[in-house]
Amino acid sequence: MQAQDQTGDSHQDSTAGPARLALWTLAWVATFALATFGPNFLWDSQPVASWAAVAANLAVGIGWIVAHARFLRGIDELQRKIMQDALAVTLGVGYVVGFAYVAADQADLIAFDDAGISSALLAVVYVTAIAVGNLRYR
Amino acid sequence: MKNRLKDLRTERNWTQADLAQRISVSRQTVNAIEKGKFDPSLPVAFRLARLFNLKIEEIFIDD
Repeated sequence: MQAQDQTGDSHQDSTAGPARLALWTLAWVATFALATFGPNFLWDSQPVASWAAVAANLAVGIGWIVAHARFLRGIDELQRKIMQDALAVTLGVGYVVGFAYVAADQADLIAFDDAGISSALLAVVYVTAIAVGNLRYR
Repeated sequence: MKNRLKDLRTERNWTQADLAQRISVSRQTVNAIEKGKFDPSLPVAFRLARLFNLKIEEIFIDD
């Protein structure tokens, strides 16, 4: 049975999957930092270099998504459920808070403009949801 | 979903880790199944049935 084989393989390969995902995550963060800070600090806002950095960030981002999907397929089924539940909560929070932010911004209620906060918020929600899931199934 | 997993496991003097290794899941998964907090996938249910030489419905009881 295919699912059984996949599970068996995943347990033999239990450290390679997380390590590969961590490397893709670091690569995405690095290319994002390059695309964000490069124009001001490295290449003096040259459009070709900026577009190349954005393209590299997108390409690595796609690799990161694929690595994450493979990671989810390879882990134990309870851990997969915990992760998928956490992703669902994070997506929901992202939509709800994101649209609330847009509405508040359009009503000129937002005094600051820092999109980085939303990324940090989603990361905190994701990690918290995983911790809650692990506590629930402990 | 209720199940007889803990009884079947303790009859054989297996730890949760022993059973987890035999069916290729984590010990946390075995614990969650035994406590009825998590229903396993069909492949894992089949592996349990084969391991204990029982039918799936003899291990898991629909509420």
